[in-house]
Order: sequence, then C-alpha cells, then structure tokens
Amino acid sequence: MNISTVTPTEIDWSQLFNALNIGLILVDSNGEILLWNEWISKHSGINYLSAINQPLELVFPEKLPAPFVAAIKRCINTKLPVVLSNALHKYPLPLYSPQKSDEKLSQSVILNPIKDNQGNWNCLIQVTDSSASIKREKMLRDHSETHKKDATTDPLTGIYNRRFFDSHYKIEMNQAMRQKTTLSLLMLDIDFFKNYNDHYGHPAGDAAIIAVATCIRTTMKRSSDMVARYGGEEFIVLLPNSTPAAAQMLAENIRSAVEDLKIPHLNSLIAKHMTVSIGVSSFLPGMVVDATTFLKNTDLALYAAKQKGRNQVQFLPL
Amino acid sequence: MFNLTDLHLDALSEVFNIGAGRAAASLSEIVGEEVKLSVPSVEIRRSEELNVQALQLEQSHFGIVKQQFSGTFSAEASLLFSEESALEIMRDMMGSQMSVEELAEFEQEAMCELGNIILNACLSAMADMLVIQLESSLPTYTVYSADEVIQNIVDLEDQVYILILHINLEIERRQVNGRLIFLFSSGSLSSLRTKIDSFLQNI
Repeated sequence: MNISTVTPTEIDWSQLFNALNIGLILVDSNGEILLWNEWISKHSGINYLSAINQPLELVFPEKLPAPFVAAIKRCINTKLPVVLSNALHKYPLPLYSPQKSDEKLSQSVILNPIKDNQGNWNCLIQVTDSSASIKREKMLRDHSETHKKDATTDPLTGIYNRRFFDSHYKIEMNQAMRQKTTLSLLMLDIDFFKNYNDHYGHPAGDAAIIAVATCIRTTMKRSSDMVARYGGEEFIVLLPNSTPAAAQMLAENIRSAVEDLKIPHLNSLIAKHMTVSIGVSSFLPGMVVDATTFLKNTDLALYAAKQKGRNQVQFLPL
Repeated sequence: MFNLTDLHLDALSEVFNIGAGRAAASLSEIVGEEVKLSVPSVEIRRSEELNVQALQLEQSHFGIVKQQFSGTFSAEASLLFSEESALEIMRDMMGSQMSVEELAEFEQEAMCELGNIILNACLSAMADMLVIQLESSLPTYTVYSADEVIQNIVDLEDQVYILILHINLEIERRQVNGRLIFLFSSGSLSSLRTKIDSFLQNI
C-alpha cells in the first residue's frame, strides 16, 4: 500500500479498512488471516479477535468451497490477480445479510497478490455483495422477456408472428445450407375464408383462426418445428431435418385434423366444414437455393393445392 | 524478417501447453466436468500484417478478455472467443438449464473469470519456465467486431509484434476455438527471445 501524500502516522489504517463498504481479508501463504475488516465481521458474525492469525479455512463453521481455496493458492503461487465471478461461485465465503441472518449473501470476489516488506507474498481477498445487482438484473430480464414475447408473437393466436418467422427462417436456412441438412416448409391457407368472414362475422372469423392455429400446434410433434401466422388466414410451418415424405405426412395430418374440427362453413364451395389447403416444399442437402426462392416455391405449391380443388396437400420439388 | 525462429515458437508452444493443462485443471474443478484445453499452434506476425484472415476467425463479433502484464517484459494479452461460442461455453459451465438470453447478463463477469484462468495459466507457465517476473492487471471484458479487433491492434504505434496462440477448449464434448493474442513492443519481444534462448540452452 503506497499513498505518497499520507504517511502512516497521520492515518489509522484500520479505521480506513473498517470504513470500507466491501469485505477485505488478507491471508499469508499459509492461509493465516492478517487482516479482517469490519464488513467481513458484520457479514460473517465472526469478530476480528476470533479471526486474526487463524487459518482462514478453520475460522468458518463450514468448509470453504475447494475452487475458492485453490484460487487463493493460485493467486499466491502465480502472483497474478484472480477473478471469481458470482455466476460460477455463488457463495465463496459463508457470509450472510446482516438484516436477514438466514439469507446467504451472493458475492463477487477478487484476489490480489500483495508483497509485504519482507518479500513474502500474501493474498488480498476483496468481497463485494452482488445480491442487489442480481435482483436488478433479474428484474430487467423479466421486463425484456415480456417485450421480446410481445415482439415475436401474434396477439390473436399466441403463435409466432411473421417478423419472428422471417428472422428464424433465415437462421435455419443458413444452417441447413452450411450443415447440408434437409429443411421443409408448409404454407397453409384456410379455404374460402373471406366467405366465412362475410357470413359469420369477424369475431367468428377470429375464433376460426385461433382454432386452426391451435390445431396446427397440437398436430406438430417435434419441439424444433415452429409455426407462425404468416398473414390474415395464412400460416407457415418450418420443419428442420424433415424429409419431403415426413413433411407431406405432417401436412396431411394437419389437413385432416382441421377437417375433423367440423367447424361449420356454409359458404365454402367445396365442403360443409372448414378446410385448409397446404403447399409443401423441401430444401435438400447440397442444393444451391436462396431463402426467397425456397419460400416462393412453397407459395407456388400452395397455389397448386388451391388450383387442384382445395382441401388437399400439394408438394412441389425445388 | 521475424524476431522469433521456429525453434523459439516450438519452445513457446511447449510452455503454453503446460499453461493450458493447468488452466484445464482449474476449470474442471470449477465446472465439475472434464475440461480439455490445448494450444495446437503458435505463430508470430507484425501488426501491419494482421487482418481477419490472419486470425482465421470467421465470426463477426468477439468476446475479449484482456490483461496488461509487465515485469521482465511487458505486453497486452487478449483472449478472443466468438460471441456465440463464449455464450455456449458459459452455458456449459453454469449448467445447461439456462438459455443463451439468460446468460447474457452473467456473461461479463463469468467470461472475465474464464479468461483470467486461461491467461494467468499461460502467463505463469511462461514466468516459471523462462524464469521471469510478471505482474498483471485485473481482466476486463469487452465485445468487439472483427474489424474493431484488427483496427485496435493496427492503430497501436509502439506494439509491433503479435504472438497468436490457437486455443482449443472442450467442455461437455463441445469444442470451441479461440485465440490468445499477445502484443509485444520490439523491445519486449527481444527480451522474450533472450529468455527463450536461455531456456533452450538449459534443456
């Protein structure tokens, strides 16, 4: 310690250490305690006199974590400073909040090598209370999760929105190209939805869209598959590592599941109930196609399904 | 003409692999899993030759842990991981139940610790084997784009030599590559060379 303008006779160092709002412990190379400030006493319940000149590992009623003890040794042996993050070492020392004595204190610790006048190396342990910043970060995280959810989901159906699909699709497409894997897309449209809306009214139209979205979601089996609301009555399903056959089978399952909902649709020109048309397309390993072309091809497959009479699945090779 | 020969680089490679072994042992103790760390290659370049190709890193953003050290010679040591792999390592170290998003806020301090362990192990192995004294600052953590990394180095006037270590880190069967970069002034590099020469004579 060297503060050139103040000589040790002018200031009582122990007063200074005890005024600090962080914990300070100095141990020598044998692990014996040379300094123990007020903050540490207050948070450990162990006073200066019971701690000083005692081995650090024996002062506390519980065993200190092995990585923490090893870090102190490493600091003295290598004479290099060491950081112990709260994320990887939640409670290096058994310290407690002075207000709530049963609550262990989250800490961040820094170890500094300190040479004394005889040339011996000691380790200065600086402890800061990180519980406040952890609380703040948790609050921020909760807020940002709410915002993120709002930005990525469709408010009506609760499934992903088009914006999320667009960014997620690009990532999946790049990955499929890089790793030479299969990626399939389904594009799905409710048949004669305009007629449905005109006849049953918008609230019923919304309810039908929710019912179809839920139906698609429950028919999908794998957690890696994702469905998004792409437009008014249009949905899109992204299936990583799904072969053309598997994608068509899923599309057929969705089509028949929607039919089985038996939602009355008097103004449909092809059935008495609500039905969907589905276009399927697959990106195969080694293909050189951009994301827009693949999407357009899937849209063409959907167009073909409608052209051929609706309430069916059409596959269009890329 | 480079200041270090292949023989010097081989000796450094040996030194740093001993450091990597020590770092792996410390990391394994913290994570409670086997961690493997190795330094497959070491090269030296002048700062004006440095570009993204020379670093062989394709990613656009990096998490960088930096320590300044001084003593027998001084240098700046930076450990680079792509931002993505940095987060993946952190997720593996803290247990896989956390999402990458959740980790973002723990990232800074935890990356500092990871970098600190690797940098300290390499520095102390160098200090032990080359019989030198080294002191170091505390680590800092920043996120930079690849261009910023290069620009920061090229902008330096007095630090002209760059020692590049390729780092392989393996946690929970996941393997990630990083780079450890030392920036040396020519004066510091020649002190380093002298120390390696005496190390080689004593083998």
